[in-house]
Amino acid sequence: MMRIDRASLLAAAAVMMLAAACGSPAENPERTVTIYVSTDRVFSEPVLREYEKRSGVRVNAVYDTEETKSTGLANRLIAEMNRPQGDVFWSNEPVRTLVLKSRGVLAAYRSTSANGIPDALVDPDGYWTGFSARIRVIAYNTRLVEPEEAPRSVFDLADPRWKGNAALADPRFGSTSFHVAALYAQVGDAKMDDFFRRLKANDVRVVDSNSTVRDLVVRGEVRVGLTDTDDVNVAVENGDPVAMVLPDREGLGVPVMPNMVSLVANAPHPDEGRALIDYLLSPDAERMLAESEAVQIPLHAGVPGPRNLPSIDSFRPMTLDYTKAAARVEEVTLRAAGLLGL
Amino acid sequence: MMWGFRSARTPALAAAVAAFTVLCGLPLAYMLAQAGAAGAAYAVLLLDARQRALLLNTAALGASTAVLATLIGAPLGFALARVPLRFRSVWRVALAAPLLLPPYVIALAWVYLGGSAGLVAAAVGRDVVSAWTYSLPGAVVVLSLVFYPLSMLTTEVALRRIEPRIEEAALTAASPGRVLRTITLPLVTPAVAASALVVFVLAVSEFGVPSLLRVRVFTSEIFTAFAALYDFSRATVLALPLVTLSFVVALLATLLVGDRLLVTRRGGGSASPLAYEGWTRRAAAAASGVMVIALVVPVVVLAREASGVASLAAVIRGSGEAIRTSLALAALGATLVTAVAVWVGYARGRASRRAGAAADVLLIVLFAVPSTVVGVGLIGVWNRPGPLGSVYGTDGMLLLGYLARFLPVAALALAAGVRYVPASHEEAAAVGGAGWWQTMTRIVLPQLRLTAVAAWTIVFILAFGELGTSVLVAPPGESTLPIRIYTMIANAPSAEVAALALLQSGVVLVPLALLACGIAARPGR
Repeated sequence: MMRIDRASLLAAAAVMMLAAACGSPAENPERTVTIYVSTDRVFSEPVLREYEKRSGVRVNAVYDTEETKSTGLANRLIAEMNRPQGDVFWSNEPVRTLVLKSRGVLAAYRSTSANGIPDALVDPDGYWTGFSARIRVIAYNTRLVEPEEAPRSVFDLADPRWKGNAALADPRFGSTSFHVAALYAQVGDAKMDDFFRRLKANDVRVVDSNSTVRDLVVRGEVRVGLTDTDDVNVAVENGDPVAMVLPDREGLGVPVMPNMVSLVANAPHPDEGRALIDYLLSPDAERMLAESEAVQIPLHAGVPGPRNLPSIDSFRPMTLDYTKAAARVEEVTLRAAGLLGL
Repeated sequence: MMWGFRSARTPALAAAVAAFTVLCGLPLAYMLAQAGAAGAAYAVLLLDARQRALLLNTAALGASTAVLATLIGAPLGFALARVPLRFRSVWRVALAAPLLLPPYVIALAWVYLGGSAGLVAAAVGRDVVSAWTYSLPGAVVVLSLVFYPLSMLTTEVALRRIEPRIEEAALTAASPGRVLRTITLPLVTPAVAASALVVFVLAVSEFGVPSLLRVRVFTSEIFTAFAALYDFSRATVLALPLVTLSFVVALLATLLVGDRLLVTRRGGGSASPLAYEGWTRRAAAAASGVMVIALVVPVVVLAREASGVASLAAVIRGSGEAIRTSLALAALGATLVTAVAVWVGYARGRASRRAGAAADVLLIVLFAVPSTVVGVGLIGVWNRPGPLGSVYGTDGMLLLGYLARFLPVAALALAAGVRYVPASHEEAAAVGGAGWWQTMTRIVLPQLRLTAVAAWTIVFILAFGELGTSVLVAPPGESTLPIRIYTMIANAPSAEVAALALLQSGVVLVPLALLACGIAARPGR
C-alpha cells in the first residue's frame, strides 16, 4: 500500500497555494491601466478612484513615496525597462521624471488637456507635463519665532541668528534634491558651495525627510526648517504651532515644484495610459488636489487654489530650465552632501 | 556514511540545494553579473576616507547591537526555558512583541521621549538627554531593544533541546551559577552566536533608525546609489563591503565557536530543573524591567502621541484588504520558507565540519544582501517573456521575495536545530532497516518541530514587515500593509504615524499571541 506522509502532503499543499497565489493576471477581460505614483497615496488615491468611476477603466496603482526612502518606483521602472509593466508615471517632483527621460524609460505624449498650463512646465519634447504644484517653503515655529522675524530667503538659514536652530532634509533625495539642483542652476556653483559651507558652520540639522523637518519645527527642536507646502499644511490643519514663508519672493523667485505625468515607453496599455494622462492634466483633477490636504496649486488659470496658500499668479515663481537643472542634479546634490559632511 | 549515494537522501538534498540556489543565489548573481558587465562599477570599491569612516561606524553599530541584544535576550531566553516562571507563554509573547514594531517607529518613540523638546526635556525643564538620543550609543540601544527577542527565542529553543539531566546531575555537586557557567552556557553558545550574527546583519543593514538618529552609516552609500543616482551597478558593488563585513564577522564567530558536540534529549522530563526555582523572582524582575523599557515605554509614548489623531478611521477602514493580503502572504511565505529551509538546514547540519562552517558563512552573507538589491535582482530574473514572466505581476513575486530574503536565516536556525538531533538516532534507524525518507519523517522531523515553529514565527514576523523588496515586486493594484502604511505616513502628522504603527504591530501581534496560547494550551507542554 502506498503511504502518503505528512511532509509530502505539506509540500503538495504549498505548491498548490503558490500556484493559486500566482494566478493569471490575463484572465480578467476588463479594461485596465497601470500607474506608478510617487505622490502621497492619501492624496493621489481619491483622484484615481474618481477616474475609475468616470471611465469604467480599472486603475491598478503602484504607490510609493520619496519620504519612505524605499527607492521603489524609479528603480522599478528602470529595472522593468525590457518588459514594461506600467503605463503611466505620476511623479510628485521633477527630478525622477527627468532621470527616467534621460534613461529612455518614457515615451512622448502631448495631451490636449495640457492647454492652459504654462509652457515652462511642459516638456518641449512631450516626455512630461507638469500639473498641480507644491512650493518649497520655510516652516517656522509660531511659539518661538514672530512672523516678522521669520527668514525671507533660503539663504537666511545660514545667518548666525539661526545657528543650531535650522533644519533641512538630506539634499541627495526627493524634493530637496530638486531645490538644490535648481539653486545651483540659478545662482552658480561658487555661491551655492559657500552657502552650504556656511550652513554647515551654522550647525544646520540635516535629517532624513521633509516631514521630519516639519516635526522638528512643530516640536520646537529647531525654530525654522526648509520643507514642502503639503508637509506644513498637514500640521497647520492639525492645529500645530507652525506657519510657513514662501521664500525668495523678492529676488530669485519662489521655488515651485510641479507634479509631472508621463507615458511609459512600450506601455502595455498605451491608449488607456494616454486617457488617464488627459484626466490627470484636467482642471477637475487639479481642483481635487487643491481641495485636498496636499494643497497643490493648480496650474490651469481659473481653477480655485487651496485655502491656506496664495494663488500662483500672486507671486513670482523661480524661472527654471528643468533640463539644465536635471543635467547636473546628481553632481551638485552629492557635492552639497559632501559640504554638509554627510 | 550511513546513507548510500543511491538513497532517497541524494535527490532530496540535491533538490533542496538547487531550490536554494535558484531562489536566493540567482537574484544576487544577476546583479553581480550586471555590475560586472558595467566594468568600471567595481572601481567604487576603492573606498575613500569618508566611506571607510562610515564602514567603521557601521561595524561599531552592528557589533555593539549584537552584543547588547544578546546580553538582554540570552538571559531572558534562559529564564523562559529554565526558570519556572508563572504565565510563561504570556511573558514570551510580551517579551517578543518589540520585534513586531517597525524599528523606525521605536526610534521615533524614543525621539518623542528623548529629543531636545521631548517629554523628558519638558518634564525636567531643560534638554538633558538629546545629545545621547541622537548618537551612535542611542542607535545601538534602540536597535538592541528591537532585536533582542531574536536572541531570546533562539536561546530558549536551544536550551529546551538540551538534556536537562546533565544539568540536574551537575547541580548535585555545584551551585546553579556554576552549572550555568560551565555546562549550560557552553552548550547553547553556537545557537546564541548564530542569533547574534543575525542581529549583527540586521543592524548593519538598517538605514531608517541611524538616519533618524543622525548616525552616519555605510548603508546610506548604497541607498544613495539607488535613490539619488539610480545606478544599480554601483549600488550592488557598494553592497559588497557590507557583505564582506558580515562575512568576516561570521568567519570569526565560526572560528571562535566551532561546531561543538551537543548532548541532547528526547522524550519527557522537566525542561526546568527545579534548582533554578530560587531564581524566579529575579527572573521576573528582569523580564519586567526589559518589558517596560522595550515595549511599555515606546507603546505608551506612541499611544500618547496617537491620542490626538482625528481622521484615522478612513485609513483603517481602507486597510482591510491589505491586512488580509499581508497576513495570508506572510503565513504562506513563512510556510514555504520553512518547508525549503528544513532540507537546506538538514544538509548543512549533517555536512562535514569544514563544509558546514563554509555553509554558515554563505548563509549569513546571503542574508546580508540589501533588500533593494534583492528586489531589483528578482525583477531582472523573473520579468521576462515565457513561463518565468507569468509569475511576474502576481503575488507569487512577493513570496519569491520572502524566499530570497529569509531562506538563509531560516536555514541557519534549522541547521542549528538539526545539530541538536543526534546522528546516532539516524544510524540506529538505518541499522534497523529504515529508509532515509522514513527516518526523516518519523525521527528527524518530529525532533525539529520546535525549531521549525521558531523559524516559522521569525520568518512570519520578518515577512509581514518586509518593505524594501516588496515595494519593488508587489503586483500593481495591490499592496501589503507595510507598503500601504509607509506610503500613507509620508506627510501625515506624527499622531497618525504613531497610530498606524500601532495598528501594524497589533495586526501581527494578535494572531501570534493566539498561536502562542494555542501551543501553550496543548497537552504535554
